[in-house]
Amino acid sequence: MGFLGYILISTGLVFFLGTTIGLLRFPDFYTRMHAAGKGDTLSTVMILLGCICLVSMSWLLALKILLIINFIFIGSPTATHAMMDAGNKAGATPWRKDSK
Amino acid sequence: MSALPIWQFDVLLLMLVLLFAVVALSIRNLMGAAVVFGAYSFMMCLIWAGMGAVDVAFTEAAVGAGVSTVFVVSTLYNTGATMQRRTGGLAFKLFIGVVVTVAGAFLLSALPDFPKWGAPDSPVNATVAPYYILNTFEDAHVHNIVTSVLADYRGFDTLLETTVVFIACIAIYSIMRVDNAKLETDEPAIVAAPRYDPSDSLIVRQASRFMVPFMQLFALYVIAHGHYSPGGGFQGGVILGASLILLAISFDLKFLLRQWSEKTLMLLVAAGVFLYAAVGLACVFMGGNYLDYGFLDSVLPGERDMARSHGILLVEIGVGITVMFSMIAIHINLASNGRFDRGL
Amino acid sequence: MEKLITNFNYVIVVILMMIGLWAMLAQKNLIKKCIGMPIFQTGIILFFISIGAKNKAKVPILSKFVVENSSAIIVNDYANPLTQILMLTAIVVGVATLGVGLALAQKIYQQHSSFDEDEILENQRK
Repeated sequence: MGFLGYILISTGLVFFLGTTIGLLRFPDFYTRMHAAGKGDTLSTVMILLGCICLVSMSWLLALKILLIINFIFIGSPTATHAMMDAGNKAGATPWRKDSK
Repeated sequence: MSALPIWQFDVLLLMLVLLFAVVALSIRNLMGAAVVFGAYSFMMCLIWAGMGAVDVAFTEAAVGAGVSTVFVVSTLYNTGATMQRRTGGLAFKLFIGVVVTVAGAFLLSALPDFPKWGAPDSPVNATVAPYYILNTFEDAHVHNIVTSVLADYRGFDTLLETTVVFIACIAIYSIMRVDNAKLETDEPAIVAAPRYDPSDSLIVRQASRFMVPFMQLFALYVIAHGHYSPGGGFQGGVILGASLILLAISFDLKFLLRQWSEKTLMLLVAAGVFLYAAVGLACVFMGGNYLDYGFLDSVLPGERDMARSHGILLVEIGVGITVMFSMIAIHINLASNGRFDRGL
Repeated sequence: MEKLITNFNYVIVVILMMIGLWAMLAQKNLIKKCIGMPIFQTGIILFFISIGAKNKAKVPILSKFVVENSSAIIVNDYANPLTQILMLTAIVVGVATLGVGLALAQKIYQQHSSFDEDEILENQRK
């Protein structure tokens, strides 16, 4: 069970690396928010799932971490949506391939 | 050197926090500076949790990284000035840099005389702290040593700190609040109108409507469970305040003011401090010193040590009430520029 | 030199305090000054917390096992709670002070339409 926990945490870290690279390399506000929002939520959930596997001897602690995962799963995409909506209303233009 | 088995991690975090501080101060866009400031607070919270100070880290995460960032952003929201002006004055900044470096060198010259980082026999661990660690459970029947010392052994400090939060709330109220009737004649208008209103979006409204009751339940748990786990009055009060600030941000400010009117808010800010001071006075009526909860054992169930535990709980509830409504009142004042009509 | 490694936390504390102090004195923008103040305060809090930290110490919460079996409480097992309590007070007072500073900055903006010190002083002379 502990080994599975370490694997899940490492996978979460790999997704975080992908998120960071996407945040730096994408050309546009919307694509960057897409990378940040999705990658952030997924990596955090994977790391917390790994933590559940590491504390599996105490069911109360695992239940608390499950509740945290629940809230992050609801709250983080909502925040991403709010930021993208705000950027849209403020007038950020999407990147087009030919505009460079 | 720390509670962590890998001390290099602590050193890395300490160097990262310096980087965050420098970046927060050099970004020209003030909204970006506010966000990096929130990240800096989170990093400090991580360092303190690594050094074994979980209550302090909890408070910093709730207060510093959560509420402080919201305050700075609400202040910037009403104004149009979110970019710092590119000024000259490099000579002045260099001069201040030299002065500050000299002062820092003076402070660092005392470095060899300090005790080693993490030494158990340093002078600060010698006199009073062992008494608190050894006798907390016998005296007050409380597992969390920090809560018992905060609310029982050093109860006066916490009473005055709650009063300081109350005074800050009153100060901000008296600085910012303007009467809506005198608006057209006296005060100049707010410069910027908001271009984005979060309450337009159904997703934001529904998600926050889902989260707020659970946040409040968790905050009540934090206040009540402060005897046995990290937590207590301040942390629970700030989370309660943040839940209502979330309502104010995702719906309209008027939505919050319809549920909690201005008069109720200010009365309840005072009620928390009043509860704390009243508990102390009740101890005097029972025959003891001020804030000596042991003498409440004729009124509260249990022996002397259980009476102290219940006294601590009552006092933490008072602190939680004051901090909660203070945070809400400060946010409403800052976000609506004192007008209490529309805002972030 | 060896002292620099064993007392590394004090170096960081002094550098953080000096960064915060520099920001409060040299930055022209009022909001940057208001950001410099918590940096100074968190530096001080880091100083106190790092003094109270002990090697391989646990969090200062007595576990159920220790309490129920009335086993001897070893003092060196727990981090020092005294410094943490003082700093809890400091954090809350810090956020209250930050709120007052931001309220004053907003009022100044209302009068002079600028957060910049030079522009405010120019505006006042008129």
